Amino acid sequence: MVQAQRRLRRPVGTGGGRPRRRVLLTFLLPALALYTVFIIYPLVSAAEYSLYSWSGNRQDGFTGLSDFHQLFTKYPLSEQVWRALGHNCLFFIGTMLIQTTLGLAFAVLLHKSRRGKRFLQTAYTLPHLVSPIVVGYLWSIMLNPQFGAINAALRDVGLGALAQPWRGDPHLALPVAIVVNAWQWVGFPMLLFGAALAGIPDEYEQAARVDGASSWQVFRRVTLPLLTPVLGIVTVLTFIGTFNVLDLVFALQGSQGNPGFATDTLGLLFYRTAFQNPDPNAIGQSCALAVCMFVLIFGVSLAANKIFRRMEDRLT
Amino acid sequence: MRTSSKTSGAAEKGVNLLMRKFCALVAALGATLALPACAPSTNSGGGKVHLTVMTWRPEDTAGYEKIFDAYEKNHPKVTVDYKPIKSTDYLTVLPNELKKSTGGPDVVQLKPYGPLQSYIKAGNLVPLDGQVNVSGWQDKVLQAAKGKDDGKLYGVPYALQTLGILYNKKIFTDQKIEPPKTWADFTAACEKLKKAGITPMATSGLQPWVLAIDHQIFGATRFGGNDFEQAVLTGKKDFTDPDYTASLQTVTDLKQYFPDQVAAVDYPDAQTLFTSGKAAMYPGGSYEIGPFTKTSPDLQIGWFDAPPAPGAKVNQPLTSGYVDGSFGINAHSEHKTEATELVKWMATPEFGQLYASTLKQISTVPGTTPGDPLLTQAYQGYQQHGATYMMVVDFGYGNPLGRDQEGQALQKMLGGTSAADAGKLVQKGISAWFKPSGG
Repeated sequence: MVQAQRRLRRPVGTGGGRPRRRVLLTFLLPALALYTVFIIYPLVSAAEYSLYSWSGNRQDGFTGLSDFHQLFTKYPLSEQVWRALGHNCLFFIGTMLIQTTLGLAFAVLLHKSRRGKRFLQTAYTLPHLVSPIVVGYLWSIMLNPQFGAINAALRDVGLGALAQPWRGDPHLALPVAIVVNAWQWVGFPMLLFGAALAGIPDEYEQAARVDGASSWQVFRRVTLPLLTPVLGIVTVLTFIGTFNVLDLVFALQGSQGNPGFATDTLGLLFYRTAFQNPDPNAIGQSCALAVCMFVLIFGVSLAANKIFRRMEDRLT
Repeated sequence: MRTSSKTSGAAEKGVNLLMRKFCALVAALGATLALPACAPSTNSGGGKVHLTVMTWRPEDTAGYEKIFDAYEKNHPKVTVDYKPIKSTDYLTVLPNELKKSTGGPDVVQLKPYGPLQSYIKAGNLVPLDGQVNVSGWQDKVLQAAKGKDDGKLYGVPYALQTLGILYNKKIFTDQKIEPPKTWADFTAACEKLKKAGITPMATSGLQPWVLAIDHQIFGATRFGGNDFEQAVLTGKKDFTDPDYTASLQTVTDLKQYFPDQVAAVDYPDAQTLFTSGKAAMYPGGSYEIGPFTKTSPDLQIGWFDAPPAPGAKVNQPLTSGYVDGSFGINAHSEHKTEATELVKWMATPEFGQLYASTLKQISTVPGTTPGDPLLTQAYQGYQQHGATYMMVVDFGYGNPLGRDQEGQALQKMLGGTSAADAGKLVQKGISAWFKPSGG
């Protein structure tokens, strides 16, 4: 206690000492206020709204878990929720397979390359700078069956048979969205893996080489295990990103996840339930969905974090 | 030691001063941000009342300002402020604007039929019965602005949209094609165009609502128009009816005349195909005429109704129609008297005619004529052999909307699903909330 008081009495600006509580608070308060207004308040109010019945924008009585019950039992929501969840899972798996694998491959190749490293790193991360809405519209133009560059290019090189209705075929639409998303974000895992690779001492590889390991064995047995912490971070962030995906799919396939809900995701379903739903209880239903999404994403992220921590502990 | 304490004291003072300045800055910023939020958007200054009219039509700003200028001339104490919101944002903005106890808009543009009901249930709108003169109006038109439960009127409808086929006159003349009167003529024309390397019809298979409109245009005669509509409303038939499923098939059978890979063609692509002269016909609505003429002033557009489809239950063409929306009064408006006066005026032929000629639309006000020869033709068709666009007018009151469910079913058919299964899907969706009146 006395120590704490002494610490508090320490003058500010003399180096090394902790600033006074009031000063700390003054600097923290604006951020905290913004965080409360834009993050905590909407979260708490969404949770509250999901427990009430609504008539348009008028809050009626407390109905407990009725909105959640509607979400899982009332057609078409009961069908759409599971379908959208399934698509989010596929989106996550597809993104891990394509985006993370490619990100890792690019990082490894760039780590070893001596020329053009900076240029390629910048090139791969450039699509980050563009809004997903713009990326979505851009690709929808390129994938257009009439004027689009992709089909035109395929026809020009004699591969006209491969020209597909990319956005209109229910079997292709979701994979196409996953690939476009990966095109935009592949630079992100690449940068993270790149930074981690730079932190691995060369001696490890040299030692393995002396023991007669091939390039693949060095990568598989030495490099990859050492990348586990980054892999964990990338996996969790990819999970959060793909389960919240909305803007890119919206720009590519509209709010209904065309064609025939083939690209519907939880984000799009939330948007439709909240803003394009003639049901008077639209707010209740959409908030219930938002709460479910939050619980799912938060819960799985925490669990995944723990699992990866354990994996890391096993390595050390 | 003293010196050091002096120094630290000065530093502390300096920091305190900085802190105070910082806090003052934050407070000032906060106040600056908060002030406009407190200021009402409608204020009475200089004895004038400012009425705010909120719509989803930024592209019509000049037109509406011209219309309201005419109103302001006869109402010198009122200024009408036109406040458009981007159409894609409108439905997310409107509920919040209507919830504001002060400072919200006075008059708001409202979606018709089902999507209007939530606002009525929430008490966001002022009932207009007995306030506006709609004595000569058709019930079908007023239905667009009425509460489903209480039957009260909550808005003044402004425009009627009709559905038909737009065609490129130049292509038709070059190919020596006349607007077809029979289905055989129609398919022969399509074949001829296809052989000439011209896409016969531009439409979007990617957007369910466009496919639903195609169905109403080509399929209405096949399912039986308003007779079928009434049969479903009273529970005598449903959407698994063979005539209805055959009408779905009518649309997908036309796939060969739609653009290549129509399933992936988006709405703007279809528009571009037609306006760029790559496609000869465009099944759509009267709402397209204005924008098409604007983007391609040289395009000579004609209009005809789809001829009765094979096996049609109605042996004459049908022009389907629906009301586009209405103008209602915000229950929180601080100028209800003046707002009522304005919407009263919106039900008069003066507004109707001005609206029709300025914005090139079909006004819902009886006795007005559309401000465009093509629209006049479309409107005459509707008056002589009109049909209700039932998926919006009757089956747009619950989740899923009839229009969306039918469009999804047609999309599935383009992917290979049978018409019978598509009919079952439409029935499943609509029966989730619609109960027939019996009888």
